Amino acid sequence: MSKILIVDDEPHLRLLYETELRRAGFETMTASNADQGLEFVETMKPDLVILDIRMAGMDGIEALQHIIERDNNIPVVLNTAFSSYRDNYLTWAADAYVTKSSDVTELVTTVEGLLKDRMATSS
Amino acid sequence: MDQQEYLLRRSEIVSQGVEENPSAILVVGPGGRILLASDGAGVLFGMARAEMVGRQLEAFMVSAPGRNDLWKPDSCESGVVHNLEIRNSQGELIPVEAQCFSFSTRSISLGGEDQEDQEDQSHWMVMMTDTRLREHEDELRAARLAKLSLLNQVSDALHGADLTLDQILQAVLICMTAGQGLRFNRAFLLLIDHKQEILQGEIAIGPSNADEASRIWMDLAEQPGDLLQMMTCYDRSIKQTDVAVNEIVRHMTVPLSDENNLLVQVMHERGTKRLTAEMTWPGAETLRFWLGCSEFAVAPLVTRQGPLGVIVADNAISRTPITDLDLEFLLIFANQSAAAIENSRLYHELEQRLQDLGKAHQKQKEDQESLMRMERLSVMGETSAIVAHELRNPLVAIGGFARTLMRSLNTEDPNREYARIITEEVSRMEGIIHDLLDFIRPRKQTRKMLVLDELVAGTMGRFQGELDQKGLSLNYCLQAGSVEVSCNPGEIQQVLQNFLVNAMQMLLPGGGIEVRTSQLEGGVKVEVLDNGPGFAEDVADKLFSPFFSTKATGSGLGLTISAQIIKAHGGVPGARNRDSGGANFFFILPLPKREDGE
Repeated sequence: MSKILIVDDEPHLRLLYETELRRAGFETMTASNADQGLEFVETMKPDLVILDIRMAGMDGIEALQHIIERDNNIPVVLNTAFSSYRDNYLTWAADAYVTKSSDVTELVTTVEGLLKDRMATSS
Repeated sequence: MDQQEYLLRRSEIVSQGVEENPSAILVVGPGGRILLASDGAGVLFGMARAEMVGRQLEAFMVSAPGRNDLWKPDSCESGVVHNLEIRNSQGELIPVEAQCFSFSTRSISLGGEDQEDQEDQSHWMVMMTDTRLREHEDELRAARLAKLSLLNQVSDALHGADLTLDQILQAVLICMTAGQGLRFNRAFLLLIDHKQEILQGEIAIGPSNADEASRIWMDLAEQPGDLLQMMTCYDRSIKQTDVAVNEIVRHMTVPLSDENNLLVQVMHERGTKRLTAEMTWPGAETLRFWLGCSEFAVAPLVTRQGPLGVIVADNAISRTPITDLDLEFLLIFANQSAAAIENSRLYHELEQRLQDLGKAHQKQKEDQESLMRMERLSVMGETSAIVAHELRNPLVAIGGFARTLMRSLNTEDPNREYARIITEEVSRMEGIIHDLLDFIRPRKQTRKMLVLDELVAGTMGRFQGELDQKGLSLNYCLQAGSVEVSCNPGEIQQVLQNFLVNAMQMLLPGGGIEVRTSQLEGGVKVEVLDNGPGFAEDVADKLFSPFFSTKATGSGLGLTISAQIIKAHGGVPGARNRDSGGANFFFILPLPKREDGE
């Protein structure tokens, strides 16, 4: 079962994503800030990271750089309320972008798609 | 010298002093006989003074009004003025003022004829003045006063700032010709044209024939000598008649370089000039030809700043000679007029500058206001972006859990419907936030050359499924051909999508949408037409305004963003109701300018 790490400083969003991803059959873990998220990437070895951009402390874009430094193969989905995030080239390194929406279908299908691709390349 | 000789000398001096006097003086002896008469008396009585000596004064007298007897010096009090009438040698009655002074002589010798030595005889010296002459002088004085008063009025009026230059020129000419003014028949005004370096005839006043003249002068004679009334009278009765003189004045041009020319010379020498028929002068013949009159007067219009022009005046109709007095007034008046003309010019120049200054100030104010407005909008925009963003996270949680809840509930459970409503409303709010963030975010322009028809067909194709689902038909009429436009494809697609979604929302199942493209001169037009109800005419100009929406759902930003995109492409967005019913939303994009030689 694939492990998904959700990094977001909004507890309700973390809970929503956890609920929906578990329903879709994934194992989830959550971090409430970027530092904790990076620590979990090291210690828990998740299969995919969902990363919020705007967070207190270190933001998602900086966290993305650190994740890539540690493990270039781990897929990262940037999840943000801003539709203008693509204007920052530093976000281009992410594997996918999903705009925050109450309809989490796009997030779930994106996660499924990325993990399927990864399995296809690793096998 | 003995006493006899001395007396003789004295009597000679006295009698000479009387005889050669231009005033009318008579010395009358006892019995009323005239002993001595002056030259002036001769003129008054109409005969040589020598002829009068020895006659009885009574012979010339007419009985004074209210008296039967004739006036006699011996019945007069010395020095009192009497108004009388005399009859001169031609039998004319002349009104006179007479004064007597009596004196006694012990012995008087007055030439050969009448040498009687008498003691204490009474004599009278009688002085007479023709009162008609005095009346004439009074008249002259009054006329002078009236003219001066008019000139004063004119000068006051002309220096008032509320007259235009044309009105001043007109007033000047009216005063030149009015009966209460300078009384010339006609007047012509020439001003310097500095650009062409000529003296150019500007305006003239005066009748073209004697009939007109008498009518106008009768009209004017009824008018009291008030400038304003005279100008009103001018407008009423003269304006139509001075066509002929204005025709003349337009032909009057003299180059300033022609320094010997009469007009140029008068202007530089700053004095008036009167040319009578027999006088010659360079330029005078041409002027006589223009005027059709051989005698005329010219006065300079000069200010301290320099010459402005000249006034030419004549009596072409009445043929009255121009007098010294006329010239005197003409000069005074010309000076006043020149000052007034200069004043008016300076005033209007000042007014113009003030106006320019006012405009510049207004523009600056507007620029400043627009800057402030933009700044306010920009602050508002930033604030909205922050608020919108902050709202998005809680909305995702609310809507997300409502969806989770909805799925977990049984289809029979009424709470499932409530959860569905929450989901739907949250989606709507998310849509608004999406539009708002999109509206505020500055667009990056990455333009490409694209075949417009392909872009339109590609965009519309994506909606086929949704249209089928809603029972709407979509027709194409793409006639822009292979024309390429320079555009940001994503943005133009968004505009097309906005127009299309807009049309879809207006239609019920069975409705139809048509998409048209066509070529215009220098541009291409894209239209999205529907056969729905159209929009109310009174909202036509608000359709593209932010937050305006006729729909229950929607942010009211879709069309605003569309307009913003089209304008950023140098195009024009628009909307109108179709004659056949329904709405037509369209935009025009400019074609790229081709470089020469391509």
